[in-house]
Amino acid sequence: MKRLGIAEALREAIMEEMERDAHVFCIGEDIAVPGGWGGAFTVTLGLEKKFPDRMIDVPIAELGFFGVAVGAALMGMRPIVDVQYGDFLFLASDQIINNAAKLRYMSGGTAKVPLVMRAPIGATGRGAQHAQSMERFFTGVPGLKVVAPSNAYDAKGMLKAAVRDDNPVLIFEHKLLYGSRGARAEPGATDATSDIPEHDYTVPLDKAAVRREGSHVTILAWLLMLHHALAAAHTLATEGIQAEVLDVRSLAPLDYETIGASVRKTGRVVIVEEGPKTGGVSAELAAGIMERFSESLVAPVTRVASPDIPVPFSPILENTYRPDVPRILAAARQLTLPCAGLERSPLR
Amino acid sequence: MEIQMKMPDLATTGSDVRLVRWLVSPGQIVKRGQPLVEIETEKAVSSVESIATGLLKEVRVLPGGMVSAGQAIAVFEVATTLPAAADRISESAASSLGAVPMVLPHYKRAFLLSLYERMVLIREFEERVRFLFLEGTMAGTIHQCQGQEATAVGVCSALRANDWITSTFRGHGHALAKGLSPQELLDELFGATTGCCKGRGGSMHVGNMDQGMVPGIAIVAGGIPLAAGMALAFKMQNSSQVVACFFGDGAVAEGAFHEGINMAALWKLPVIFVCENNLYGASTHISKVMKNTRISDRAAVYGFRGQTVDGNDVVAVFEATRHAAADCRAGNGPVLLELLTYRRIGHSRRDPCHYQPAAEREAWLSRDPLLRFATCLEQQAAISAAELAEIKARVDHRIDEAVQNAKKAPLPAVEALYEGVFG
Repeated sequence: MKRLGIAEALREAIMEEMERDAHVFCIGEDIAVPGGWGGAFTVTLGLEKKFPDRMIDVPIAELGFFGVAVGAALMGMRPIVDVQYGDFLFLASDQIINNAAKLRYMSGGTAKVPLVMRAPIGATGRGAQHAQSMERFFTGVPGLKVVAPSNAYDAKGMLKAAVRDDNPVLIFEHKLLYGSRGARAEPGATDATSDIPEHDYTVPLDKAAVRREGSHVTILAWLLMLHHALAAAHTLATEGIQAEVLDVRSLAPLDYETIGASVRKTGRVVIVEEGPKTGGVSAELAAGIMERFSESLVAPVTRVASPDIPVPFSPILENTYRPDVPRILAAARQLTLPCAGLERSPLR
Repeated sequence: MEIQMKMPDLATTGSDVRLVRWLVSPGQIVKRGQPLVEIETEKAVSSVESIATGLLKEVRVLPGGMVSAGQAIAVFEVATTLPAAADRISESAASSLGAVPMVLPHYKRAFLLSLYERMVLIREFEERVRFLFLEGTMAGTIHQCQGQEATAVGVCSALRANDWITSTFRGHGHALAKGLSPQELLDELFGATTGCCKGRGGSMHVGNMDQGMVPGIAIVAGGIPLAAGMALAFKMQNSSQVVACFFGDGAVAEGAFHEGINMAALWKLPVIFVCENNLYGASTHISKVMKNTRISDRAAVYGFRGQTVDGNDVVAVFEATRHAAADCRAGNGPVLLELLTYRRIGHSRRDPCHYQPAAEREAWLSRDPLLRFATCLEQQAAISAAELAEIKARVDHRIDEAVQNAKKAPLPAVEALYEGVFG
């Protein structure tokens, strides 16, 4: 057992998978420059020494190198493609959406694209084009699996599961959760370290996780917002409100089994999303919950999300923009007020 | 056609050079790259290589004469070096290309006949499909390749069975040339489970992973980085396979083209980039979308070899692809082949193609790749018209059968709607 941050856990996962299977390789910008960064956030640091032929630096050409990765995957390789900032996925989206996600279906199930894509996201002092929350743009793409680990244990296990999966998997990682060190360390980072076992393990790509049990309200969150939700739940407990916190983790497909079990128990749902509210993953979750579990809801599903504006730069504006603990608390308190269906389902 | 060779700028001081002697006499055949003439600069005596393969028709400077950089020194008659596409718009330019005879190397008779049969198969298949659409029998849209049979057959015939191709819309010919059966293609066009993509792909996405053809990528240039990645896999797996990546002239303006060929060049990947330059991207003529219409020039700026080939000459395409594949297998890839051809039908099903000038159409129809090859086979390989007619009859029969079967082919069960998204 050892204590690792997400960047280290991902690095260990990549190294182990490359040792296990010679078809696994990494491709991306600045990932394998000796004396360089190991990608934008140190995840692949030093791996070029161990795998000189399987760590491929590329030109700044996201559409091109995502296409290269898809083509290599089609021919039996298992690429892990790294994009420096999730925002650049827009450049690569033709290859991700039109090729990686669809080739299996349009070939009648005969072509397979075992591709792993890693993308850092989150508002972190970089303004409008290096800090967006990109999940919403990819969760509605048939043929694509999308996950978002919030701690090092999951990051390692999900990356390993993704490498072994025969479908394209897009992994969103949060810049404030990496625990990157040295010059690439992020100011204001949140501790997402985990105890990592010595043995090989994977984490399923289609299961949410209950991070805290409670019976009054369900809070759904992922990545950085999961950490804020846990902090909020801690405060709510001191007020007598027991919040159940779910790490949604698998954004496509959504695990309605685990989510449903919690909604049936609490009857109240707060969904927290870092990205803008309109058209977000939280909108899909809210609709999905209401379609499936409306008979269990005692209050309307509530969303906490960023406003519908680009990510601002000035720290005071960014901190106002991004959902935080007080906003989650306010939403949970509102939902658990007597007027919010308590007559029908009193706090237990 | 004639081309002029100009004196390259060899003197570092900008002064004139002295022509010492010609190494080839007028009337002789020279190859591109062959030493042509000896010259003396202020530094040394050296030779200048021929820029073309063809007949040395005339020399413009005699031994002992002084030559300036840029001065015309020789004239060649060439069959294989063609003008840039924009120069071919006029009727006269296309007609002069048509006058260049195909030259048949010493191939085995059976091979020649197999090339011809495959081309006839594509032509007849496409014509039959056209009428099936006119009848209203088929759903969806189609992008057809009548008149472009020599590109598909020439390229695919130069590949090994375990080599791959990527295609784009207008891919029926590529599929038939790569070895997919007319039955599995027709079944796919009918949306049947027995189609090459089990009815999930349709005309724009025909392919067969067991035959070395990725389902057609119908996003313009989308297959170019993909093919580079396939070639990267071959290289990493120490395989001798190559991939031929078909795309049209329209793809050359896409970012994916430039990003893909740059990486392929950078890593010397075994890809043959096959640009079928048929002069039109949808309804827009090539001259409206690029200043330099010689597409093969793009290769040099990325540091690899590009070549413009008469795409209506199946032998020229076969030879160019054979050399390109050999370069790729030797680790000297990639290669960009620009195959000059013409789209004689509308872009898609509902396009009556009214924007092509009549003179241009006539000139290009006179260069029909099937007719040219048939004439060449009769004149140079002693293959009789009767033998060629037999081939056409055999192909017709095969397609008749395939159409009958396709009309009865099983459609997917609606319960199978969700199959094949994930695996």
